[in-house]
Amino acid sequence: MEQHSQQFKENAANALADAGGVAQRDILALFTPIMRDAAVAEFGPYEALRQHVKRVRQHSLDNLDYYLARFELEATNNGNQVHYADSADEMNSIVLDICQQHGARKVAKGKSMVTEETGLNDYLQRGGLQVMETDLGEYIVQQAGETPSHIVGPALHKTRDQIRELFLDKHDLGERELESISDLVGEARVVLRDHFLQAEVGIIGSNALIAENGYSMLVTNEGNGDLCANLPNVLIICTTLDRVLPRAEDATAIQRLLVRSATGQPHTCYTSFYSGPRRAEDADGPLETHIILLDNHRTDILASDYSDMLRCIRCGSCLNHCPIFAATGGHAYGWVYPGPMGSVLTPLLTSLEASAALPNACTSCGRCAEVCPSAIPLPDMLRDLRHEQSVEKITPASWRQGLRLHAWLACRPGLYQFLTGIGIAVMHRIGRKKGGFRSLPLAGGWTSKRDFPSPQGKTFMQQYRQRSRSNEQ
Amino acid sequence: MSSESRARIMARVRSSCAGNDAATIERELAGLGVAPAAQAPHEDSCVTFMVNVLRNQGTLDVAADRSTAVKLIGNYLYQHYRSHRLVAGNDPRLAAMPWRDGGVLPRFGEIEEGEQIALSYARWGLAETGATVFFTGKRNPSRNNLLPEHHLVLVDADTLLPDLESLWREVNTAIANGSRPRGIHCIAGPSSTGDIEGQIVYGAHGPRAWHVILMGNVSPEQQEAARALHAGKTGPAPA
Ligand code: SF4
Repeated sequence: MEQHSQQFKENAANALADAGGVAQRDILALFTPIMRDAAVAEFGPYEALRQHVKRVRQHSLDNLDYYLARFELEATNNGNQVHYADSADEMNSIVLDICQQHGARKVAKGKSMVTEETGLNDYLQRGGLQVMETDLGEYIVQQAGETPSHIVGPALHKTRDQIRELFLDKHDLGERELESISDLVGEARVVLRDHFLQAEVGIIGSNALIAENGYSMLVTNEGNGDLCANLPNVLIICTTLDRVLPRAEDATAIQRLLVRSATGQPHTCYTSFYSGPRRAEDADGPLETHIILLDNHRTDILASDYSDMLRCIRCGSCLNHCPIFAATGGHAYGWVYPGPMGSVLTPLLTSLEASAALPNACTSCGRCAEVCPSAIPLPDMLRDLRHEQSVEKITPASWRQGLRLHAWLACRPGLYQFLTGIGIAVMHRIGRKKGGFRSLPLAGGWTSKRDFPSPQGKTFMQQYRQRSRSNEQ
Repeated sequence: MSSESRARIMARVRSSCAGNDAATIERELAGLGVAPAAQAPHEDSCVTFMVNVLRNQGTLDVAADRSTAVKLIGNYLYQHYRSHRLVAGNDPRLAAMPWRDGGVLPRFGEIEEGEQIALSYARWGLAETGATVFFTGKRNPSRNNLLPEHHLVLVDADTLLPDLESLWREVNTAIANGSRPRGIHCIAGPSSTGDIEGQIVYGAHGPRAWHVILMGNVSPEQQEAARALHAGKTGPAPA
């Protein structure tokens, strides 16, 4: 997928200028945390589960060579063909080769952020294939020629009216009422049902790969992923090597965390496990199954100080709790993964230069780390990425000089307190009548949006000392 | 080339890993213990299963025996479709049901175009999630779970399992005995979507309705407890 992360600020400004979009995001930012909190509270020993899964995931990553080889062996014994792809292009070309070997023309695709990352749809379409996204949200954004705005709810940025217009335009179904959301879902069901039945190849992602038995876990509400996995003659599972877990029960432990964090449900309608192709004793299912394990810089992340990020289970909870994401929406981030997880992952999967704005799209409020079911220290990682940017001189020179000056002063508390004391006293004197400043040197970013309140006369340290003295007397 | 990529990727993975031997890794894994399960709404697994089926937007019938189950299925078909027909997998347990008692006309096999109701016999019911669990195969073609408008599921009360760990103990035994299923479906509700404005709609791609018939020794008190718990609180909605 083409990257536009450099334009984060412009994208964000455009998103904020769209009043309808702002209102819609405000509602989501209000309700999604409430639903997640209710599900977590109802679970009971949630923190124990979270810490358990963190330990298991860490153990899997620490011994990934062992578990990856085990998964490959079991999956191969089950009749799957296991492929490794170093890069996005390699994954795409493996998929296209398989489709061409089978003379396929139609592909039914379940939701997969990995294939968004590799730009698989465009690649297959250039290869002459008709690729249909079947997750309703993905289908809507595909029809609209857009990209997902959220890793769990790809089309939550669109209103029912926009989707109605889109369907009337794209589906050649004559005059009809499409008033309600049910009507819209019903129409997509009819259109996509045909595609499911005609597709020669199904492509899905995986929520977990189980080393001990070679199964792949798939978690959905719509059941579209299962239709892709069961109806076409060829199934391709596009996933990444960090999804491997030791045991089946580890996958179900993740299932408990994932769904509660993602949608606030205790579980999805469909949780499925697939082991391989159809055998003589099976009534149906694909005749051939492929599992493609993509690296695309994940082994670099594994070797780096950011390896904790590989514990991410793509629940989207950090997005739902992030004030920046709520304000700007997912498209502003300019690539596949938005929100806090995206601001960490994007620089690691692409480059720090191309994603320079993202680690700075953070207020350091810490909510993402608080709710992350994988206990990933996202704000710390964002800070470390900012530090790397500064070291590599990606951060503008004026910023770096400003920060250096600040660091120099902060290391000299006496001088710092003396200078801030003068500054605050002067600002108090000038601003006390009006109560605030319309503009201030070096703080244009702040005063362009709101007034800067006039200081009350003394710094925190001056007041603290004063009170300590009076307490002593 | 995939094999060259494999070698490169594996070499990179190995260079980041501790390089422990299998025995050490397995010992460390065993030492991590087990994950806690969700706290159950009721101490009785059967009550918990029924509450969760209802919270999953399923509908529920309870039948003391097979004859009653067939009658309830007949009523359901008549109520929703004014019909007596359904399609069922080639499961000997389904073939042996006293269909005439309910005036039901089953066709055994895979669901075909135009057929709207499928009946499946669950291998297990799972109290923790209220899911009905199936192995795909001739007895339970996956299409029958995924393509009908109404999916009817029979579950024996004595096959209820408390949690996901106990489910995997059963599945692992089946795998160890050489009966590895191609697919395992844990179905917990009708197909749903919240992808348009977060509003929940049932029948996204799969069944619009999911009806569970719990068969066996279930007391009126257990049923009452389940309905009361469900009336007090329903589950949260999907997105
Ligand atoms: S970083 Fe954590 S909260 Fe964000 S998507 Fe990943 S697992 Fe979920």
